[in-house]
Amino acid sequence: MSALPTFALPTWLRSGRVITGLAIVVAVALIALLAPLIAPHDPNEQNLLSTFLPPMWLKGGEAAFPLGTDSLGRCTLSRLIYGARIAMTVAIVASLGAMLIGAVLAHIAGYFGGTIDWLIGRTVDVWMSFPPVILSLILMVGLGTGLRNVILAIVLVDWTRFCRVLRSEVLVVTRRDYVAAARLVGFSHARTILREILPATLPLLITLMSLEMGIAVIVEAILSFVGMSVGATTPAWGQMIADARQHIYDAPWNLVFPILAIFVTVLGFNVLGDGLRRTLDVRVTETQRA
Amino acid sequence: MSLLVANELTVSTMLDGAHVPVLRDLSFALEPGRVLGLVGESGAGKSMVGRTVAQLLPPGFAVSSGSLSFAGTDLVTMAADARRALLGREIAFIPQEPLSALNPVRTIGAQLDEHLARIGAPASERRERMVQAFDAVHLPHGAELLRRYPHQLSGGMCQRVLIAFAFASHPKLVIADEPTTALDVTIQARIVRLIAEMQDREDTAVLFITHDLRLAAQVCDDILVLYAGRPVEYGPARRVFATPGHPYTRCLQLANPAMHQRRVLYALPERMPGLRAYASITGCAFAPRCPNVIDACRAAPPPMSEVGAGHRAACIRTAQTRDIAAAAEPAADATAARAPILAVENLTKRFTSGGFLRRSDFTAVKNVSFTLHENEFVGIVGESGSGKSTLARLIVGLETPTEGRITIAGHAASAPGFAAHRRRHVQMVFQDPQSALNPRRRVASIVTQPLEAAGRVSWQERLQRAGLLLGEIGLPADAALRFPAQLSGGQRQRVNIARALCAVPRVLIADEIVSGLDVSVQAQLLRLLAALRRERHFAMLFISHDLSVVRYLCDRVLVMYRGEVVESGPTEQVFAAPAHDYTRALLAAVPPDDPAEVWQGLAAG
Repeated sequence: MSALPTFALPTWLRSGRVITGLAIVVAVALIALLAPLIAPHDPNEQNLLSTFLPPMWLKGGEAAFPLGTDSLGRCTLSRLIYGARIAMTVAIVASLGAMLIGAVLAHIAGYFGGTIDWLIGRTVDVWMSFPPVILSLILMVGLGTGLRNVILAIVLVDWTRFCRVLRSEVLVVTRRDYVAAARLVGFSHARTILREILPATLPLLITLMSLEMGIAVIVEAILSFVGMSVGATTPAWGQMIADARQHIYDAPWNLVFPILAIFVTVLGFNVLGDGLRRTLDVRVTETQRA
Repeated sequence: MSLLVANELTVSTMLDGAHVPVLRDLSFALEPGRVLGLVGESGAGKSMVGRTVAQLLPPGFAVSSGSLSFAGTDLVTMAADARRALLGREIAFIPQEPLSALNPVRTIGAQLDEHLARIGAPASERRERMVQAFDAVHLPHGAELLRRYPHQLSGGMCQRVLIAFAFASHPKLVIADEPTTALDVTIQARIVRLIAEMQDREDTAVLFITHDLRLAAQVCDDILVLYAGRPVEYGPARRVFATPGHPYTRCLQLANPAMHQRRVLYALPERMPGLRAYASITGCAFAPRCPNVIDACRAAPPPMSEVGAGHRAACIRTAQTRDIAAAAEPAADATAARAPILAVENLTKRFTSGGFLRRSDFTAVKNVSFTLHENEFVGIVGESGSGKSTLARLIVGLETPTEGRITIAGHAASAPGFAAHRRRHVQMVFQDPQSALNPRRRVASIVTQPLEAAGRVSWQERLQRAGLLLGEIGLPADAALRFPAQLSGGQRQRVNIARALCAVPRVLIADEIVSGLDVSVQAQLLRLLAALRRERHFAMLFISHDLSVVRYLCDRVLVMYRGEVVESGPTEQVFAAPAHDYTRALLAAVPPDDPAEVWQGLAAG
């Protein structure tokens, strides 16, 4: 017995937006997973004899380096492919973490209300009054670089987004009589939240998560751009932009490709999120069904 | 000459690639200064008639044949400009929801001024005309009212403002679409009287759309009864209600609980066909539910035939209509002395609102005491805001009382383990099944929620239990696997009741569970509750604003007014000889059972 209606699956898969977004995201994820198999070079392998090579289709390009090389002669394509690993790991783990913290607090605040709600609400207010990028930079300085700390920093900054948006949705659902009815037949608070409220907030949660993944990719790029992310030995898109910035007039393509990678990935997440919102949003779908 | 004449009017829409007539072969004539009542259950097409006249048909709907003329001009073929000039001036509209019809961010004065400007009143006269208009609808302090915003007025006052709007242009025709449905009974009576008074003064014709037969009998000169988009009966109101020609009219009358004496309700089986089923109707649309049906009824649609002077009905067996009677019901067990199951003493609930700087107290329930005995049905009546629902929530434990004691089956609320004890004995049926049934659970899962709460129960066991419960509340077994959205309003309310019954409670608290339902569905549910009572022997606290329903179902009644119980006693006694002024006002506001009384009253007054 599933809590979700059985027709949920076909409805959201029929949307063009969801299919487009999902295709992009799955493609990037596959590239990240299969990086060692498809990358033509080791991303850190230096070829000091062939630095600043242009992409292969331009004059002076070499087929061995399809997207050219950077100032140290490293293969841009390989670095992009390996950079996807960092981007996807951060996107998935950080948004999951932020979702978990935010969703748990949002459900507690919205369901119980009163003092608990006030406390959580004010915490979110104070938290959100810090500029997010500065906050994550401060956190990175304090925590030190490394993949785990990047994720931690993003989780600590972005859980508030989930908490605030979800709380208002939980409030609406909690006022429905079926929640009161569940309590009256003897459901515990935990069971009421899990079986009656969560199924109703789940669509919003999934939508928010997909948008958050896009945000996480950008935040990671910002952090690695300023050198506060995973460290110099691990290729990351933000780092590639930072490297290319110094030679922007000699080798502009080195700047273009990582930016394009970030753009396409974030676009994928956003289109997916938008599509999910349109197909899963209760307010939209319930009126259509009625 | 008639003001509004419909001749074989048919309105159609496209559905699944085919033309479906939403209204079929409608003919009527409305004279100036008369009131034509459009009566029928929801989905019968009543509002569609009003919308066709006002040219407010929803997209995709259009007049496909027949004619509709207003003061000699054809409304169907009229140019859009001319039609727009007519609306608001010659034809005015009184809406169902007064609050949503007014713009919340503009003052009443600004909105009425705009309306007057549109109908061509010179700027110098407008202010005076506004105050005059408010005087006419008995709204005092008109000048002050102009500066108010809609949310600062009560629902009844808003409806008066809208009536003032409607009559401001001295229209020839006013369309009133369920103008009193959203209002309390006492206000409802005043609004109806006001419309009648305005109509009389201005010699306006009124198209009065309502689902309430009593109200229609009180207000209307002529009646048109609709069923599934077809006219089934048309004639002078007196004749239609005194000697109904069509079985549907007769069944609706019998489904309405009476105020004077308790009489058996006629529960029409099934429900009206939906739009999608219209195409497959070959004969009389009412045949599947008709107690007088014969084979010939299913062969061809019955024509409207004369049953009296100006009184026509679409039935081939009109002579048998008056033989229809409700099936007898076994009497409830004698009300012998029974043990109290629920006792409430000096119950008080105060709500505090505002921050810590500006606190304000509101006492929703004030010092309420009563006892409910086993297998006893007690009704609680009162208008909105009288504290009925808060009292129910206090008893089931959704709110904590500020003061007072609740005792359930011998255990006081202070006793340890009371919450579980209360759950075992008391269950609640919520008002709105739309909100009370989780849209993501299947029916079987909803009705067996108490089992889920008790611990690990297999889906098989739950299905089995659900099957028994559904049988008991009169739903087909295949409903078990459906979602609430796939059920009709009446079926959803049955599911709602079944969930409360699953835990085998001894007390059921029912909060307005038949309001907002059609009379035939209401009658089905009332009969179901009476039958369940005989089988299950539970007690019930039945909260309702509808006095006639309480009259039908309850042994005793409590009348609540502003949080207090102002009168209580056996239903018959309270209804026959009310002691408190408020009870008298409530009872006086209900239109009489027998339409003949209304007309006698009119003749005398």
